[in-house]
Amino acid sequence: MADIDVARDAVEYALAAGASDADATTVTLERFRTEARDRKVTKLEESIGRSMTVRAFVEGRKATFSTSDFSREGLREFVRATVDAAHFVVADPLAGPPDSVVDPAPLDLQIYSEDVRRRDNEAKLEDARALEAIGRAFDPRITLTNGSNVADGAATITLVTSRGFCGSYQASSASRSANLIATEGDRKRSGSYGSAARSYAGLETVEFVAQLAARRAVEQCGARKPATLRCPVIFERDVAAHVLADVFGAVNAANVAVGNSYLLGKVGSKVGSDLVTIVDDGRRPKGMATAPFDSEGVPTQRTVVFERGVLETFLYDTYYGRKLAAASTGNASDGGIVARNFHLAAGTQSLEQLIATTSRGVLVIETIGFSTESVTGTYSRGARGFMIEGGELAYPIDEFTIAGNLAEMLGSIDAVADDLRFDAGVVSPSFRVAEMTVSGN
Amino acid sequence: MDVDAGTFERILTRALGAGDYADAFYERRVSRSYRLQDGRIHEAGLSLTAGVGIRVVSGECSGYAYSDDLSNEALMRTAAVASLIAKNGGERRIALPPAPATPASVYEGEPQLPTDSAAYVALLMRADAAARAYDPRITAVNGFISEELQAVVVATSEGRFITDRRPLVTLAIQTVANGKQRGNGYYGDGRRAGLEFYQERTPEDIARESARIAIVNSEAVEAPAGELEVVVGSGGGGVLLHEAVGHGLEADFNRQGASLYSGRLGEKVANELVTIFDDGNLAGERGSLSIDDEGTPSRHNVLVERGVLRSYLQDHLNASLMNVASNGCGRRQSFRSMPQPRMCNTYMPAGDSTYDEIVGSVKRGVYAKSFSGGQVDISRGDFVFMVAEGYLIEDGRLAAPIRGATLIGNGPAAMTRVVMVGDDPRLASGSYTCGKGGQYVPVGVGMPTVKISHLTVGGSAVG
Repeated sequence: MADIDVARDAVEYALAAGASDADATTVTLERFRTEARDRKVTKLEESIGRSMTVRAFVEGRKATFSTSDFSREGLREFVRATVDAAHFVVADPLAGPPDSVVDPAPLDLQIYSEDVRRRDNEAKLEDARALEAIGRAFDPRITLTNGSNVADGAATITLVTSRGFCGSYQASSASRSANLIATEGDRKRSGSYGSAARSYAGLETVEFVAQLAARRAVEQCGARKPATLRCPVIFERDVAAHVLADVFGAVNAANVAVGNSYLLGKVGSKVGSDLVTIVDDGRRPKGMATAPFDSEGVPTQRTVVFERGVLETFLYDTYYGRKLAAASTGNASDGGIVARNFHLAAGTQSLEQLIATTSRGVLVIETIGFSTESVTGTYSRGARGFMIEGGELAYPIDEFTIAGNLAEMLGSIDAVADDLRFDAGVVSPSFRVAEMTVSGN
Repeated sequence: MDVDAGTFERILTRALGAGDYADAFYERRVSRSYRLQDGRIHEAGLSLTAGVGIRVVSGECSGYAYSDDLSNEALMRTAAVASLIAKNGGERRIALPPAPATPASVYEGEPQLPTDSAAYVALLMRADAAARAYDPRITAVNGFISEELQAVVVATSEGRFITDRRPLVTLAIQTVANGKQRGNGYYGDGRRAGLEFYQERTPEDIARESARIAIVNSEAVEAPAGELEVVVGSGGGGVLLHEAVGHGLEADFNRQGASLYSGRLGEKVANELVTIFDDGNLAGERGSLSIDDEGTPSRHNVLVERGVLRSYLQDHLNASLMNVASNGCGRRQSFRSMPQPRMCNTYMPAGDSTYDEIVGSVKRGVYAKSFSGGQVDISRGDFVFMVAEGYLIEDGRLAAPIRGATLIGNGPAAMTRVVMVGDDPRLASGSYTCGKGGQYVPVGVGMPTVKISHLTVGGSAVG
């Protein structure tokens, strides 16, 4: 197989140039993407791309090389330059490949589906046009669009290491999304929704995606700015996932090791409410971040990160595991540590029940901004959603912020919904935080 | 160049078919980077990005395909895939000049391939020492330096054939200080130049600024919540213009009626104190380009003049469909992506007020000196920007520093509330990167000190 050959050659070139260890990952990706606007296809993209990442170690000195050029002369020259650059890195006895090589086990993780390659382009174009048409038919106020997309990819990932690991697997993905605009006088209200899975069969239907996006846009008509207050905040699952992504940042050992996490030194401590059980699961069948092994060849695994509010562990690759005296959790990825189906365990109530049991509060359906200060856990976002009064959605609200501290937020999660869905690498069911600051007028 | 004029002619001829327009974008980008962690060089990285992206436009529809395989067969196959959206037939032969034109350069120095590891390492180690020496409360110093050279060639079915060599250097330092709490500092600077840039702009300066911010943040109190008077700092405050106005003027959103600024050319969209330029021609600035990624020369664009909307940011596709000329804003992350209308360096020129007058006029408010970033919803116009260094203002004086807060506003509304503009405009230090549709490109921002009469501050301290 050509990818294995070029990965082997890259490792050989590194060793020949003086590396003590090396590994090479190749990715061959077939990509398709189309966009429709107002029932017409406006973009059609289709490509086959290749990329390779080579890591070279020279006695604890690490350098990496990424390239799209698989020609042998180019590869040999750049790998040599990479090994040369490694000599300027300070030797670190902790840097190096994993201690043992675990042969990749044959696993049926269901992360590759032939239906992605089989579905013909005309059907995908029709899906994109239908997203727009259904969205518009949902309500006469849907008059504009930011475009609806259908996209897929099929990849072959191959890893070869100088210690004898050699593994390869296929992965696929498909997605549909709609981004619609409702007009209300001279105001415009955008609404988006997307569905992603490892196969077309795993996606939510075109009707569901388009109607939810349209509903989100229409429901915002008449939105006003709320008064500033402290109250319970319910995070709908898509925005709840963004909060989980911040939590992942704080348990990412690469952040912890450089003092850039508010959870530093907190393993074994109660840092969340009893409802906070958070699991990272690299082996979850059909998971969007599932893989048989990580970018270092370490087997992926299921890791309980928080158990009923107690921080059990951080998530590691080989280097940061050694640095913090722990074993890799199989979360290495090119250039860092990644979440693998990192999720808050689902509760038993519906989102509607969470709303019904909130006398006065805010339901957040979208946030903008991205500046959680991981050192202190300070959290602040722009938001829009609904004011809840007497257990019901009273009116839409926008142009406000929600603020708090990740530590306090995790500590005061008092309800978790049952609507968990595994459509990304970090996911969450909807949940409620007992009190946060809502800043408006 | 790995692809010659004859090859470009063949792939454009194959791609165009009955389409209206076709272009090919060749790129070869080499970069080097080094990471500093725990007082030592932790990692070195090299990367090579090389390939060709081919686009065919037919009416409002664009077909796109790319190839990192530069063989003739692979490129012809890629051209065929890109042309799938255009109707068959009507083959027109594309002719190009024998060699690509070279535009007037807006970069500093002669762009060179990055090579010398020792030079990068020395700069990072100087930064590390300076940050630690700044204050004993600095407990962690991390950083990176990168240098790249991107060579591009653009060939189009209209006969344009042009090349550019774009340098870019960036040095950024992140620090943590232990004070009342742990405080984070981040500061970087870069330019479209080579490493010699760091002779005048020393790594010590950059590291000390990062350490200073970390110390300030380690003493910060909770930010207030609610609508307040907000003074936005000169330089990095330009993120405000980028989010509140700039993105909303990108021609794709406006042609499709999706922006809050759609159909408003010639109308008043801001207080008359507000003038906003976007300029890709500023020598050496991070967002500058001799030509954009469609081969159009960069220029100075007046977006808003004394509060009146003057122009959108145009790329080739949207300009053609709107019957105007591209104004040099077609940019893309790499050969793997279609171009989009984007900003270059977005800034506001000087007003009349002094910094002291502006801060002195605020009874109770916030001074947002610099920002870590921002985001905007184009259709609604709601934008946020995140304070990296900020202070309370009490009775016309700076008071306690405040912890990272998000500020939220609505673009046109916020621009009508710009009530004072300072006489101290400057461009922010160069480390901003703008994301749109999954594509990231380097940009510049700048502004004088500005006062906004009221804006919602997203802290957690109520009352």
